Amino acid sequence: MDLSLILLLIGGLIVVSTALGLIIKAAEGRVKKQDGLTRIDPSALGEGIEFGKIGTLLQFSSEFCTKCPGTRKYLEQVAKDHPGVSHVDVDLTNRQDLAQQFNILQTPTTFILDDSGAIAARIGGSPRPEAVTAGLEIAIKREHDSYVI
Amino acid sequence: MSSNKPNPLAAKPGTKGVDPRGPRFGATITLITLTVELIFLLANPEALSSSNSLAQNFATPAGILLTYITAIFAIGAFAGIAKHPYGAIFKAVVRPRLSAPTELEDPKPPTFAQLIGFIISLAGLVFAVLGLTTGAIVAVAFAFVAAFLNSVFGYCLGCQIYVLLVRAGIVGRGSASA
Repeated sequence: MDLSLILLLIGGLIVVSTALGLIIKAAEGRVKKQDGLTRIDPSALGEGIEFGKIGTLLQFSSEFCTKCPGTRKYLEQVAKDHPGVSHVDVDLTNRQDLAQQFNILQTPTTFILDDSGAIAARIGGSPRPEAVTAGLEIAIKREHDSYVI
Repeated sequence: MSSNKPNPLAAKPGTKGVDPRGPRFGATITLITLTVELIFLLANPEALSSSNSLAQNFATPAGILLTYITAIFAIGAFAGIAKHPYGAIFKAVVRPRLSAPTELEDPKPPTFAQLIGFIISLAGLVFAVLGLTTGAIVAVAFAFVAAFLNSVFGYCLGCQIYVLLVRAGIVGRGSASA
């Protein structure tokens, strides 16, 4: 086969792979607004867990998860900077039930809960700072799709 | 509440995590070998032919290199990612030049990813030996995309498939101390 055609085919594969990679990376760490209809009971997550008075950054982690510790450190700092917001880290390794219940396909996954414990927003993967800010705003202002009193 | 418990994600005593940079380094070498394999297949597609004997197809450059690639995946899949030959190169040559890993990774997802790589490259090898060049090219192209995503973007496609299968209950998690 002609050399230029070989280069064209391999180049085409590189373009397709790069496009796929960029799409995957672009989706990571972004905030997704939730309907606010699913309320989480802190006692269902583990003993002694309490949610924040204003909002909660609920992180789901797993064993040997490369991005979880960095996420944990970052979200702990955000919680410290926002009075009334707390950070909770739940290890899913032995809690497949939670992973199934909330359809968690990757760790870290972060839920941003409002003051009632309802899921206002979620972030898959290592959260971007602006995604956390946006998620907290949705939770605090209760801008999630359908809050029911 | 900001819990002060010890980090639940660090490698537990008696369990072995892998440096996540190891599999990514291996994926880069795999990507290079797959690129050469693609060049072999595309440059001389007539070298493989269904009118040849199986041994004749097997003894072509494309057949030999694809056998090597398949064998490497087999080691990673069946001996485990911790015993991967490219991982050994990483440990001996690359890792001493890097800072210590900040975190370790569960070895099971990348080991499973090696199994997927093994199945795809084995399919390619079967096509090649049967003289079906197009089939071999398609299989190698799939492996190329997966290796590219792992090497360039640090995104392990096979690992994500593993997580989905665990979630679906198809693959058991087993004990982490294995």
